[in-house]
Amino acid sequence: MYPYYALFDEDRREADEKRFWFWNSMHFPVPMPAFDVQCIDSPYQAVGAWQNRVFAVPPAMGIDYRIINGYVYISGNPVTDPEKVAERVDFFQRRAGYYYENWPELYEKWKDKVRELIDEITNLRVPDLPEYEPDEVMHEAGRNTAFVDVLDAYQRCLRLGDLMWQRHFEFLLLGYGTYSTFSDHCKASLPDIPEQHIAQMVAGIDVLLFRPDAELRRLARRAIEDGVDGAFVEGRTPTEIDAELSQSDAGRAWLEDLEQTKDPWFNMATGDGLYHYYRSWLDDPSIPYASLIGHITALKAGQQIDRPTEEITAERDRLASEYRELLSEEAKPPFDELLALSRMVFPYVEEHKFFCDYWFLTRWWNKLREFGELLARNGFLEDSEDIFQLGRHEVMSAFDELVLCWATGGAPRGPSFWPPIVARRKELLAKLGDWSPPPAVGVAPEVVTDPMTIMLWGVTTHRVQEWARQQDPAATELVGAPASPGTVEGPARVIRKIDELADVREGEILVTGSTSPAWAPIFSKIKATVTDVGGVMSHAAIVCREYGMPAVVGTGRATSVIRTGQNIRVDGTAGTVSIVDGAG
Amino acid sequence: MAAELTRPLAELRSGDAASYGGKSATLGELIAAEIPVPPGFAVSCEAFRLFVSEAGLGNVIAHAVGRASSGDVDAVNRASHSISEAMHSAAMPEEVREQICSHYAALGDDVPVAVRSSALGEDSQEATFAGQQETYLWIRGADHVCDAVRDCWVSLYSPPAIAYRARLGSSDEPAMGVTVQEMVDAEVSGVMFTCNPLSGDPSMVAVNASWGLGLAVVGGEVTPDDYLVSKVTRELVRENVSTKTVEYVPAEGGAVCVEVPEERRSVACLDAEALATLVEVGKRVERYFGSRQDIEWAIDRGGDLFVVQSRPVTGLAKPEKQAATSAMSLIMSTFGAEKKD
Repeated sequence: MYPYYALFDEDRREADEKRFWFWNSMHFPVPMPAFDVQCIDSPYQAVGAWQNRVFAVPPAMGIDYRIINGYVYISGNPVTDPEKVAERVDFFQRRAGYYYENWPELYEKWKDKVRELIDEITNLRVPDLPEYEPDEVMHEAGRNTAFVDVLDAYQRCLRLGDLMWQRHFEFLLLGYGTYSTFSDHCKASLPDIPEQHIAQMVAGIDVLLFRPDAELRRLARRAIEDGVDGAFVEGRTPTEIDAELSQSDAGRAWLEDLEQTKDPWFNMATGDGLYHYYRSWLDDPSIPYASLIGHITALKAGQQIDRPTEEITAERDRLASEYRELLSEEAKPPFDELLALSRMVFPYVEEHKFFCDYWFLTRWWNKLREFGELLARNGFLEDSEDIFQLGRHEVMSAFDELVLCWATGGAPRGPSFWPPIVARRKELLAKLGDWSPPPAVGVAPEVVTDPMTIMLWGVTTHRVQEWARQQDPAATELVGAPASPGTVEGPARVIRKIDELADVREGEILVTGSTSPAWAPIFSKIKATVTDVGGVMSHAAIVCREYGMPAVVGTGRATSVIRTGQNIRVDGTAGTVSIVDGAG
Repeated sequence: MAAELTRPLAELRSGDAASYGGKSATLGELIAAEIPVPPGFAVSCEAFRLFVSEAGLGNVIAHAVGRASSGDVDAVNRASHSISEAMHSAAMPEEVREQICSHYAALGDDVPVAVRSSALGEDSQEATFAGQQETYLWIRGADHVCDAVRDCWVSLYSPPAIAYRARLGSSDEPAMGVTVQEMVDAEVSGVMFTCNPLSGDPSMVAVNASWGLGLAVVGGEVTPDDYLVSKVTRELVRENVSTKTVEYVPAEGGAVCVEVPEERRSVACLDAEALATLVEVGKRVERYFGSRQDIEWAIDRGGDLFVVQSRPVTGLAKPEKQAATSAMSLIMSTFGAEKKD
């Protein structure tokens, strides 16, 4: 089900047991379907290539992973030889320096390259296998027969994924590192500064990621202005709403506007994109429609729903200048420079998610569904969706046989071979979903030094120690990072899969592996957010703060300890979560 | 050369610290800065000297102190006792008494006041060690005010004060001023620092607060509510609401310590609005003096905030001193890429 190298094994046992492996519940909160392992391999190839082989970050190479019971555990590879570290310092300084000097220009080029990849994955044709090849095979020089086209297309689809991941990580290390340096610099002089104030000083105002929801607010306003808001009734499906709208001219005009808006703003995903479960708003409009209904209701109740961008801008500048005034004279110049650099890199930090994780990946998964459809049409799968239960090499092998038998006219074994495998794996995944993985295995380090582990996953020395303390199964208090201030109490809703998101009820506290900014629409329903893993600089944390909702991130095991229905108290100021009672 | 014996607080400035003590001078400055301070007046060090000389106490004092060495507890106690007796039986100079009575009458009809010593030299730590921080709350009636002023003077020769000066080998004649201020009928009172005294963070205001008059917090008789508020956004960054078992309330002849009723013990005694007002005042005081301040305050039953004392914060934990460095070298160190020599 998983690649041979993804498992703990006897050959590497001695070395692996000495290492510290922590569950990457931020990116992989649920057991990995076989195909989705591509979203481990490819990003870790890419992040390692940039970190270790391009920038040569002196103390850290790339990240190794192992799968335990379907869950992904990761461990960084440190560089320990001082000579090697010194050698890498030269590379890093020169190459990082180049990126900082040319950032805006390089970022513009980056966006062009990613848009090209998005166009290519969108337009990639999944060929069919015809009864007879057309005459063009004779007439057009170099025209391939279908078997080559199918194999090419599938391989190209995989390769496009690799290319996207390669771009995804090009700026990420420097982006996060810059922000992280600014944050450390602030805390050196202002040890109690709330992390959210640091984020507020840096965060973009007119950020791409806010656009989808801004467009929904605009459409909500237009629906009221054009008198078609009556169609948006709580409980109706998008199809039912569309049906009513299409009855009138005004409704049709609104739908036309919606169509225009969908490209590109509905390329939001319902999660962070790393699983095939995450669909885009285009595929599943229930989230944006729920949001539209919410906005229309709020508007009609006379509430202000727009992001007060001018106020946000003014507040961001006020914070920066007031904090600056509190610094010593020596600390001011680096503060200014780091703030400017952080603001320069931050659009990338936020926007790469929209381009890569949402827009590209939702299309990539859909393209794979088309390949699944081809296999299903030929009896290799019962359903196109079943392609995700096979590893990418297994799919390759299925295509090898499919085109072979198409060519030879022979009887394929695939239709009897693959469906039972798919069925078994589905059962297995369901069982693994009930298991509560420990936050970490192996030998806990005394100090965490790997810059990426700290910056991306928030796995600090302090956090590791907290996890060790929380091994006590009777513990009723969890400690994490305070990501958004305030204290509330309410019933918990534990969400471990994206499709459970619909179960969230008004006034509940969301408890999840990690949040995604694409969940923004449900944020108007919930009272607080608690996550297993995550840093306070994530976009999701910023959204929580914009909604003025308490959040505690990086608790290690909230989803394993807390049960849906339990009353919990979230203190987003102190970073603690307590279970108030056991009953639902 | 008629030296000045008393003056309204509002007319004092920092330059008067040498003759009125630090507390009175600071309150004068606060009034000048338009910080809400309860009205009152100050008694000068000269008034004390006049008291000592008119009553002929100089010899008694010199004799008693001369026999007390710092290490000899009994001798110090005996010296303190004999000076105290002599002072209590001596009359207050008529001129001083008249001026106190007239200032007191100007505050209103039998207004309750707080009478506090105002030490010379604005080193509050030193003054605390020296036992010169006497405070008499809820004093009413001119005679009682005069008695309280004298009690403050007596405290200059409390056993710890004598021992402290002996240890220092100080041969100067000690003196002190006294501050008399209209009493705030405090529902809540406490202390705030215009920084976090533990971490040294200058962007925070740390507030300790408890029910009733300020004695319980200052005297450490209750664990106060503990708040940390951002100066920049006024957000509450940390809040520890404690169980406040006792409070001081006004009573005939002074303040008394009573039990806090059960239902109020664990209630936070400051809300967001009160904290915001405190932070605002704290920032103004800090800006006016140009240094981090340790401020005693009280909120009366009408919800009005008063500052009753302010002094510079000393002995602050300093955040790690940063060497002047460039942004790029800080970024390099985030990635472990600093050049080693």
